[in-house]
Amino acid sequence: MQSELKQMLSEAAGAIANCRTANDILNTRAQYLGKKSFLNSLYGRLKELSSEERPAFGALINEARTELETKLSAKEQELKASAWEAKQNTDMDLSLPGLYASRGSLHPIKVIRREIDRIFISMGFEIAEGFEIEDEFHNFDALNTPQDHPSRNLADTFYLENGMLLRTQTSTVQIRVMESHKPPIRIISPGRCYRNDKPDPSHSPVFHQVEALVVDKGISMSDLTDTLQNFATLMFGKGVKTRIRPHFFPFTEPSAEMDISCVVCKGAGCRMCKHSGWLEMGGAGMVDPNVFKAVGIDPEIYSGFAFGLGIDRITLLKYGIPDMRILFENDLRMLKQFRGESL
Amino acid sequence: MKIALNWLKRYIDIRETTSELSDILTFSGIEVEGITELKAMPETVITAKIVFAEPLPKSDHLKICKVSIGSYQLQDSSILDDDGLLQIVCGAPNCASGQMAILALPGTDLGEVKIQSAKLRGVVSHGMLCSEKELGISDDHSGIIVLPEDVCPGLSPNSLYELPDTIFELEITPNRGDLLGYIGIARDLSASLDRELRLPIVNSVPSESDQIGIKLKIDNPELCYRYTARVFDGIEVKPSPLWLKVLLTKAGLRPINNIVDITNYVMLCTGHPLHAFDYELLDREHEGDKWPSIIVRTAEQNEKIKALDGKEYSLREIDLVIADGKKASAIAGVMGGELSGISADTKKIVLESAAFNQTAVRKTSYFHKISTDSSYRFERGVSPQVTDEVSELATSLIVELSSPSEVSPVIDCNYWMNKPMVLGIRPCRFEEIIGYKLSDEEIRTYLERLGLKFIQYGTWIEGQIEDISKVHCHHLEEAKAGKKEFTEAPDCIHSHYYKIPYRRLDLTREIDLIEELARLAGYDRVPHKTAISAVMDQHAYITTNKVEDYLVSRGFFETLSFSFTDPAGISKLEIDTTDVLNLINPQSSNQSVMRNTLLPSLLDNAAYNINRGEKHLKLFESAKTYHKAGAGIREIPSICAIVTGNHKEEHWSVKNEPVSFYHIKGIVSQLCELLGINIEQSAVSKDYLINSTGLSYKHNDIELAYFGKLRPDIAERFSIDTLTLKQDLWVIELKMSELIEVSRNRALTYTDLPRYPSVTRNLSFLLPLQHSYADLSKETLACDPELIEELSVFDEYRSKQIPSGYRSVSIHLFLRDKQKTLTEERIEQVVESVVKKLQEKLQIIMR
Ligand SMILES: [Zn+2]
Repeated sequence: MQSELKQMLSEAAGAIANCRTANDILNTRAQYLGKKSFLNSLYGRLKELSSEERPAFGALINEARTELETKLSAKEQELKASAWEAKQNTDMDLSLPGLYASRGSLHPIKVIRREIDRIFISMGFEIAEGFEIEDEFHNFDALNTPQDHPSRNLADTFYLENGMLLRTQTSTVQIRVMESHKPPIRIISPGRCYRNDKPDPSHSPVFHQVEALVVDKGISMSDLTDTLQNFATLMFGKGVKTRIRPHFFPFTEPSAEMDISCVVCKGAGCRMCKHSGWLEMGGAGMVDPNVFKAVGIDPEIYSGFAFGLGIDRITLLKYGIPDMRILFENDLRMLKQFRGESL
Repeated sequence: MKIALNWLKRYIDIRETTSELSDILTFSGIEVEGITELKAMPETVITAKIVFAEPLPKSDHLKICKVSIGSYQLQDSSILDDDGLLQIVCGAPNCASGQMAILALPGTDLGEVKIQSAKLRGVVSHGMLCSEKELGISDDHSGIIVLPEDVCPGLSPNSLYELPDTIFELEITPNRGDLLGYIGIARDLSASLDRELRLPIVNSVPSESDQIGIKLKIDNPELCYRYTARVFDGIEVKPSPLWLKVLLTKAGLRPINNIVDITNYVMLCTGHPLHAFDYELLDREHEGDKWPSIIVRTAEQNEKIKALDGKEYSLREIDLVIADGKKASAIAGVMGGELSGISADTKKIVLESAAFNQTAVRKTSYFHKISTDSSYRFERGVSPQVTDEVSELATSLIVELSSPSEVSPVIDCNYWMNKPMVLGIRPCRFEEIIGYKLSDEEIRTYLERLGLKFIQYGTWIEGQIEDISKVHCHHLEEAKAGKKEFTEAPDCIHSHYYKIPYRRLDLTREIDLIEELARLAGYDRVPHKTAISAVMDQHAYITTNKVEDYLVSRGFFETLSFSFTDPAGISKLEIDTTDVLNLINPQSSNQSVMRNTLLPSLLDNAAYNINRGEKHLKLFESAKTYHKAGAGIREIPSICAIVTGNHKEEHWSVKNEPVSFYHIKGIVSQLCELLGINIEQSAVSKDYLINSTGLSYKHNDIELAYFGKLRPDIAERFSIDTLTLKQDLWVIELKMSELIEVSRNRALTYTDLPRYPSVTRNLSFLLPLQHSYADLSKETLACDPELIEELSVFDEYRSKQIPSGYRSVSIHLFLRDKQKTLTEERIEQVVESVVKKLQEKLQIIMR
């Protein structure tokens, strides 16, 4: 019996080695381990042996079974592996470009405008929409601008056929909001403004401003400097410094110019900041009591601050764009650079 | 923690409705997590005496009982037998002759069961003897209720059970250990309702007996501040009276025996856990000791104790135990030991009333994973001040309910420094923190209602006051002189000083007093400082951003152009120019009007970029257009886009194709879908677009958007030669004002996921050319709207092989039954009906 077993094992080993498919494995397993296999029949023949011999031979049969199982499953694994390995394309050119989703971009001015929106929203501001076509009252009179003020000239302001004008700053929204809403007010208003300037590297007849206005009880100049500093830190990063300098605007009293430390040279002085270490950001101040009176808010109860920032100027600064006119050319090669700036 | 309203009413008048009381509790910081109404039992549920009960023949558990219902007047007295008794068949194992039980008579509606006279195993039963579960009192249905024998039959059990009642499930914050009992809740309510608190009257049990006692010792006074013990001899351990069982059951505890029930009752009352040991199972420390010992000590490392839950715990050196002279008998404040537990044979007990260190109890409870009503309370702090009072309350009950022959004197081991906490509060500080002013009067009233004792006014000193004379200032004199307003003096901040009641372990700082004041005065008094002025139109802002971002994600680049334009540009589009606004002082003639359309700027931009070799363009602008409107002006937010060239960016693996109608339709339709707008589509008709090359999207006849191919002759006027380029130029106009308004107030609601699988079937057929996909879709869905969920086209073509006047169409049909899995048979039916309908209505030819 022992020699028969040995012969069967070597025969089975050959059959296993010759397996080519999963089906071969199945058949081979049935042939050598199945119910009708020689190995299985040996169990029945155990009784032919003496009781002393039986345990040892029984162990031999089990050993043979284990050996066959091991070989079969090893072969099975081998076949599976070669099956998927064969499917792999190994001579692929890994350096060919991958497939991108087609994706455009927001305009850089919109990118910055949205960033400014987000920063102010995080500070609890709301966004107010305003009109671009305004009357003289909202653009000048209500903002305490004298009748003979030079900014009212045709050389500075665009006028329309029906006596209306294109707003020269977003401060008009201050008036609109204060007319229709009671304090407390905490808004910004971003949008297009117009001045009769010839286009040059730093001027454009159409430009973008964002106006901030806060009106409440107990608002002081320190709230202004606080908001300005927080905005600058969130916009340009930690370490940026801000300052205000006395200035004149008809609609704020006291009025100020706002500067931030030069983001290019970090205050050391460079061409961008005309070697002063500071960059002008816009005008600011405490809302003039006359402005409050014009919109029916009691300046004895309420106080407030307002400031205006140039969105285009921040865009040029942030991206190092040398000329404002580039922003309005809409050259696809320029726009494509801003793909990563859109959310 | 569960609180029964009727029990609470013993300590304070409650006139409020359930929901009013619930609000009062919640807004004073005791959150009501659930309310259970225990209804009164119906009139047909009465007490009944089981005169006799014997097993029903041929049944292994049913008993046949005869019960007496006293003088109760039955509606149908014919069901009484000749002896005036009712026959009831009962299956409860504990049912026996002589018991007083609760009977539900025929006709009783117990909610889940309706009782009727019925035959069980051929024997008539006129009603049911009830368990607590059937009456809704507890979940116990192990057997029928057995009432005390002195109860009369034929009465309503409602008064015995204090029904109806309301159970409040309360969440007590971890800082308020003082609220973990009925009296604590009543005390807090008395402060918030300004109503009298009725404390239980305790008849103290004096004793000079030297017949019994215990040797008491605290080894770790830092972990056990005080231990008050009392020994009782000759007690009888038996079931508690019904009133006590009822109270415990309603609070969610299971009655066990009179001694254990009394300790639980006192804990529920006072919030102070107690424990009772079997005295005779406690060992003496030394051979010759007169009494056994109780030693409060830390465990030895790996000291073993088998607790009342039957588990053995291996203790650590930081775990505190109550030991006798030899071994640990309880895990202090957490759980008693099994060995010294009260059993039916117990005759002599030691009653423990102690105060343990809360952190130590928490650590032990956490480490050994044992959480009990006792550990829960000790972890939250139990005042050492009252261990004797609490012991006294329990003692009076033990005397009443288990008639001991001998009671020992109070044995008290006290390491507690009984020094009252004195704290100050500045009225001005309250205003700073909470935001409104409370008068001196109000502050005093609120704090005194909580049991704080006003001492005097004075200047401000932070923290606990050791020497009250240090706070003296001119306020004292002014208050004595009857002044209500105090003059301000430099370096003197007007403050109140109060003695804190011992039970309020949580009041240790000024800010804690401020919190109590704010809570009692009501958080609704806290003023709102700034209201948002709601200037912003959030929806408009978000929608505009969403549309812009969507276009970017579909490959569009945003451009930005001047608001003024060349009037000639507008004329090139052959559109109306009567609403155009002229500038008085333009910089040049080609910037002399305000644009009433964004399209000319986009076409200029396209020409600019095509001239620089960029032939494949997707551009948009998001800006206002300006229009004369009568005497006024309208500024209208708009988004306009143009598309020309290939659909995709060039890539070696992709076969590119020019932008088609279906690409653009996909872009616009998907946008409407993302905005949640239902739309109707129709062929576009605009002068500057080639007719029917695109679609107009409407919602209730308001046009929201349109697209189409720009006429090549118009493109040429903008220097774009689409014919030479061999490219179409598509224009998309999105009317933002309308899109914003139509999508406003849309709310997404989640749809439950289907529970049954959907089945897909494919149909291929020839469709006459005069019928559209819309017709096909409409007819198919109408066939069986319940089962046909969706259809989609997966193939469409026309060729010479197909009979003229037809096209070949293949669709997937998705079927689903919301209630069950579809059978093959049903599917066949539906498909057949679809085919039949399409053949009839649309003259399709199946392939
Ligand atoms: Zn610089």
